Amino acid sequence: MKIVIAGAGEVGSHLAKLLSREEQDIIVLDKDASKLNRLDANYNLMTVVGSPTSFDDQRAAGVGEDCDLFIAVTPYENTNLIACGIAKHLGARKTVGRIDNYEYLNPDNRKFFSATGVDHLIYPEYLAAQEICQALRRPWARNWFELYDGELILVGVRVSENARLVGHKLKDLTFNQHTYHVSAIKRRHETIIPRGDDDIRVGDIIYFTTTREYVNEIRDICGKKDFKVRNVMIMGGGRIAVRLVHLASDRLDLTIIDDDLERCRLLPEKCQGRKVKIIHGDARNTDILREEGIGGMDAFVALTDFSETNILACLTAKEFGVNKTVAEVENIQFISEAEGLNIGTVINKKLLASSKIFQLLLAADESSAKFMALADAEVAELEARPDSKITRAPVMELRLRREMTLAGLIRDGKGMLVTGRTRIQAGDHVLVFCLSGSMHKVEKLFN
Amino acid sequence: MLVRVIGWLLYIEAAFMVVPLLATLYYGDPSFPFLIAIPVTLAAATIATVVVRPRRFDMGKREGFLLTALVWIVFSVFGMIPFMLCSTSLSLTDAFFEAMSGFTTTGASVLADIDNLSHGIHLWRSLMQWIGGMGIILFTLAVLPMLNSSGGMQMFNAEVTGITHEKLRPRVSSTAKRLWMVYTLLTAALVVLYWIGPMNCFDSICHALSTMSTGGFSTRNEALGAWNSLYIKILTTVFMFVGGINFALIFRASTGQFRAVWRNEVFRLYVWVVLGMFLVFDIALVLNPQVPVTVEGLTIDPLFQIVSTLSSTGYAVDGILNWGPLLTGLLIVMMFVGACAGSTAGGAKLDRILLFGKNAGNELSRCIYPNHIMPVEVNHKVVSPDLVNKTMVFLTVYTGVILIGGLLLTICGAPLKDACFTSYSCVSNSALDCVLSPEGGAYSMITPPGKWILSLLMLTGRLEIFTVLLLLVPRFWRK
Repeated sequence: MKIVIAGAGEVGSHLAKLLSREEQDIIVLDKDASKLNRLDANYNLMTVVGSPTSFDDQRAAGVGEDCDLFIAVTPYENTNLIACGIAKHLGARKTVGRIDNYEYLNPDNRKFFSATGVDHLIYPEYLAAQEICQALRRPWARNWFELYDGELILVGVRVSENARLVGHKLKDLTFNQHTYHVSAIKRRHETIIPRGDDDIRVGDIIYFTTTREYVNEIRDICGKKDFKVRNVMIMGGGRIAVRLVHLASDRLDLTIIDDDLERCRLLPEKCQGRKVKIIHGDARNTDILREEGIGGMDAFVALTDFSETNILACLTAKEFGVNKTVAEVENIQFISEAEGLNIGTVINKKLLASSKIFQLLLAADESSAKFMALADAEVAELEARPDSKITRAPVMELRLRREMTLAGLIRDGKGMLVTGRTRIQAGDHVLVFCLSGSMHKVEKLFN
Repeated sequence: MLVRVIGWLLYIEAAFMVVPLLATLYYGDPSFPFLIAIPVTLAAATIATVVVRPRRFDMGKREGFLLTALVWIVFSVFGMIPFMLCSTSLSLTDAFFEAMSGFTTTGASVLADIDNLSHGIHLWRSLMQWIGGMGIILFTLAVLPMLNSSGGMQMFNAEVTGITHEKLRPRVSSTAKRLWMVYTLLTAALVVLYWIGPMNCFDSICHALSTMSTGGFSTRNEALGAWNSLYIKILTTVFMFVGGINFALIFRASTGQFRAVWRNEVFRLYVWVVLGMFLVFDIALVLNPQVPVTVEGLTIDPLFQIVSTLSSTGYAVDGILNWGPLLTGLLIVMMFVGACAGSTAGGAKLDRILLFGKNAGNELSRCIYPNHIMPVEVNHKVVSPDLVNKTMVFLTVYTGVILIGGLLLTICGAPLKDACFTSYSCVSNSALDCVLSPEGGAYSMITPPGKWILSLLMLTGRLEIFTVLLLLVPRFWRK
């Protein structure tokens, strides 16, 4: 597939790196040659210096009839929308633009965008807010990924010291009953697709695949307790915070702390009268935190622009006894460090946006595909095509590569787990877990 | 991981060796060096790929450079086996020198008498040049999917000549495929054209392989002079010229973008240099009483010699020794210049000379107009000061390498003039040895240590200095 990415910023570069590993033809277009040089020298892709909103430059970058996807992820919404329009005009099959304005996502306005040639809109801050809501609903889980209205659930949990699982080998765990599938283990900086003789250690993040009725069992064996989140303190009143207020202010009592007075003044207007307490102050200051009742909070969400500040603030909140913390960490390298520091959920806009775009990519040839990108692994829901390689034999006879595992599947709207004896049938929606860079190989199995 | 990739590459080399083996069988040569060389190469390849388990799978910049240089050395090591086993049986040093000279398209030979070589060896010599001309790594990138990753990118950058590396397609493997396609088609065309002329099938193939790669090996002692045919001279001139053009440009031209080709400043400079030199040569030849004035002697001969020298092929016309010191000097300068980057030619490359010329001009004007901003522009794009700096360093180091190489050779017992000249032509990958040493076969007289030095110099020149020099810098090995 030929994919043109306009804008070599953080999201653009991240996507380009991800996709170039998936054997796609990637061309990155940006005005700034210095940003491109790095990508050009180190990754298997082509770069073109030019303006994303220039017809000639887009043509030079290969936007035309054979361009399957055009992704505009420059920092400016207007540039993105115009670039998408031009690309569509030049013949790009599908265009995706990143926006900063929630209004644009409104279904009533869809028509305008399809008329101007923008097929999909991506609003990373909104995705982040959704992710945070999910995390606050199930505070004991790190990641939560639902398929088919929860028929199949992928849940990432950090193993505590008191967990029953610790020290056991995987083959002993599922010996008597098969109620969950251990799909992946994240240990320090690497993700492992486990085999029977891998064991579970304290501090691992384990990704279980299960069906709805066994979710509570997983929570118990990992030594986690369920609690209801009601009072939430948010540090940083940026766009994610505003989205979060819109999504969750009816269920949660939200408090936003921000040190920018102007921003605090404007916040009530942006929240459109929703119930939220706004406090002016520096959340790094423990006095202010105490004053605002950090002790009584169920969750603390740090959303400033600085990953380091967010991580440290979450650690401080933990010391005050807050059960659940969520930190926005924009440096991808810091994610595994943050996870190691026992910060509950880590939010990364880049990963969320690229997951979304990846999902669109898969959807180009998969009727309904879901996709989630973790730091160095990917989860996807794929439909097995008739006569595809995956349906030819029971799973254990397929001799699948080590970097992937089939976790579960949905057959006739019913979720079930995959064992070695399962035989995938055409039309099954299968939940696949694989390490980064091998998605295209997995896809081949299903087509 | 390094070992494993080299193993894969050795499989490819073994596959290439099958071609001369077939020739050996077809022509019924008396000895069968390839029957031994192929199993040995295959065995080494199998050990490298199966027995050695890679510890790490990722490749960084460092590994990319190291691997590229190693691959060329390992290729020469296995490529020399046939020379050691053939009827004229060379020593280890000579065989390695010959193989390195082949792969780097230098075309210097230690063999004094090549008429008596077997068909298989002839074909292998030409084939080595052909593989080396476009690049071993580039070929691998086109064939092996496993290198189609960022590690492959590093190797691509380390091997392909030029200041910056133009990509034709987003994926490095498709870029490599296209370049090889152009190269193969051109070579095939040349085989057919030679064959139509006075050459037989075997000679056409060998000469086409070494002309297209601008290598310069021949199947005869007198090289192309053996045929004494105008047709062959013209044909060779044209294809040597083509071999000196950036292959990315040729690919552009084949897709119909002729204007883009003509607008390319380096290509234009190439054309102008050839034409300008032609004029100078003609004037000098007419004024030279020692050279008889003939039509062929004034048209095709100088043109042939100019293109042969610029493209670092190293074929020479008869009677070149009578041309006088000025023209010999000019030829030596042209050896330094070389042709376009991204071609199969050697030398410092016209791209760099162009950049150097413009920069030097700017510096001169800056003495008078210190406040003017004068960026170096190539192809209507401003070249960043970093790149200009890199080019200047390249040219300086390049000259330095030639001098140091020459001095090292004098330690090994060569006379100063010969030492400097052989060092120079090895770094330029252009064995125009007949110019200075009329008796020919100058390389056979150099002592064994000198040959090892020259082999290294050829590799340094082919991989454009930095890739090889880096390996000699202690900082490269420091973790």
